[in-house]
Amino acid sequence: MEALKDAFDFSDFSKSEQIGLIIFSLFLIAFPILGAGSFTKTVMIQFLLFSLFGMGWNTIGGYGGQVELGKAQYVGIGAYTVALMMVWWKIPFWVSMPIGVLIALGYSFIIGYPLFRLKGHYFAIATICTSLVLKDIFDNWDLVGAAKGIELPIHEHPDFLYMQFKSDTYYYYFIMVLFYIGLFYMNWFRKSKLGYQLRMIKDDEDAAESLGIDIRWCKIKAYSIASAFVAVGGGFMAVYNLYIDPASVMELSLSIKIALMAMLGGAASLWGPIIGAAFLVPLDRFLGSWLGGHKGLIGVDFMIYAALIMVVSAYQPRGIWGIIEQFRKRGA
Amino acid sequence: MGYYRAIQKEGCLIVPFLHVDNITKDFGGLVANNHITFSIEEGEIVGLIGPNGAGKTTLFNCIVGYHKPDSGNVIFNGRDITGLKPHETNRAGIGRTFQIMKVTSGMTVLENVMVGAFCRVDKREEARKEAVAVLEFMGIENIKDFHMNELPVATQRKVGLARALATKPVLLMLDEVASGLNPKEIEEIVELVRVINTEKKITLFIIEHIMEMVMKVSQRIIVLDYGEKIAEGSPNDIVKNENVIKAYLGEKYAQSL
Repeated sequence: MEALKDAFDFSDFSKSEQIGLIIFSLFLIAFPILGAGSFTKTVMIQFLLFSLFGMGWNTIGGYGGQVELGKAQYVGIGAYTVALMMVWWKIPFWVSMPIGVLIALGYSFIIGYPLFRLKGHYFAIATICTSLVLKDIFDNWDLVGAAKGIELPIHEHPDFLYMQFKSDTYYYYFIMVLFYIGLFYMNWFRKSKLGYQLRMIKDDEDAAESLGIDIRWCKIKAYSIASAFVAVGGGFMAVYNLYIDPASVMELSLSIKIALMAMLGGAASLWGPIIGAAFLVPLDRFLGSWLGGHKGLIGVDFMIYAALIMVVSAYQPRGIWGIIEQFRKRGA
Repeated sequence: MGYYRAIQKEGCLIVPFLHVDNITKDFGGLVANNHITFSIEEGEIVGLIGPNGAGKTTLFNCIVGYHKPDSGNVIFNGRDITGLKPHETNRAGIGRTFQIMKVTSGMTVLENVMVGAFCRVDKREEARKEAVAVLEFMGIENIKDFHMNELPVATQRKVGLARALATKPVLLMLDEVASGLNPKEIEEIVELVRVINTEKKITLFIIEHIMEMVMKVSQRIIVLDYGEKIAEGSPNDIVKNENVIKAYLGEKYAQSL
């Protein structure tokens, strides 16, 4: 009960943040009615999805301060579990998605146990490697479609059990609900014992240990929570795109995008990953479709993308949210 | 059970509160601790002094578990804690502070102390209550909302002491809490250490360079030099000990007494 109270309690935020959250929520709920085109709707779905990924990453990467660059493997696990179970045994999404999350949890414990013997850069490299290894396996594993990927069976009529709808609006509301579950969970998480302990680990590992914190175990727990988050998102990707292959759900660039969005928005803050996703997803999409259409400008969108990241991280390592807080402090 | 033999008194087997038996720590040729043996009884305040590089902090780290000693044992509260990890020794009841604190802007003072309290409780409200109680006990509740990097180093060490206290240790090991303090503040910390000892019934083991503090507060002093224990005894004996004067205190200090 107390956990629930904590999850819905935003009272320690400033008035402007609370009002911002309410306006933002009203906008999210009303968005499909505003008559946006299908392209904008896709961008919004991507935004909510990447916010969810970013919030998950924020547990270990933000609060725990570990540079984790291997989240794509858990997106893949979530997506493949849903897709394969649907193709092989016609198991509904609502059963296969939780199973995917459980597999991701189990896998993250197995991977996390040796992984967290490493620290700093070595840890970051190792997370990339584990993700690449899994992608390579899926790329060459004929049983799961290898590099060709798998197509999900398309149902003639919309089917809630299999999460197949004609209109994007349904997907939009579904990912929005997941987004809010994630947001409330994170709101609880940052005030939980584990949240405090992770922040201590980020500040000073030796001191954390002297305060009775089993740092390795704490990191593994946070890593697993992050993995569960992205596995949920992965499951959604499978039913939304109706097609997955290792290149779309396990690519290194996906891992990096997840981490970058959260870092750019502001790691270790509740709003950071959301701001980061709100900023980068549309930028990514609009720049991509705008510049990508012109001959000779292909790739310029990536340059702009990279330059922005460099500017923000040089100016304020705590990301966009750090900049906002800086201004607020100056104003106060 | 070889190590218990050394501490048999009048035929009875007495297991001391903390017994460090023959600890050696060798950093690839540099012997930081060389066959060090001593014990601490419950309720004592014991000082650990010696020149820079004598191996004091290494000895602390060997007891608490940041280093694994190459040989020797540490017995605490009747339990062999040699080679346990720092978080395990903390759970067993040993708290410690650090000479050098890494501070980032991440957490406020209250949050820092709450993390200490989370060692024994799970609920946030309980942890907060305990943290506030510890801060009040130490008389620094007025700084609870400051971030650590906004505070002077001496105050940061106090916070370090507060968060160690919040883990409810029975043995508290302080690594130079008084360095950088002015005489009045030293007076305060001496008083605080005594209160911790008498009111909270916590045994204290203190590394300290500031003689005013260590001589005033300790009931017994252990002296290290070049990784070896060169003397042990009451403050009065220590200041008269020739080895200690030669190695650490210096002729001037001995004469000034």
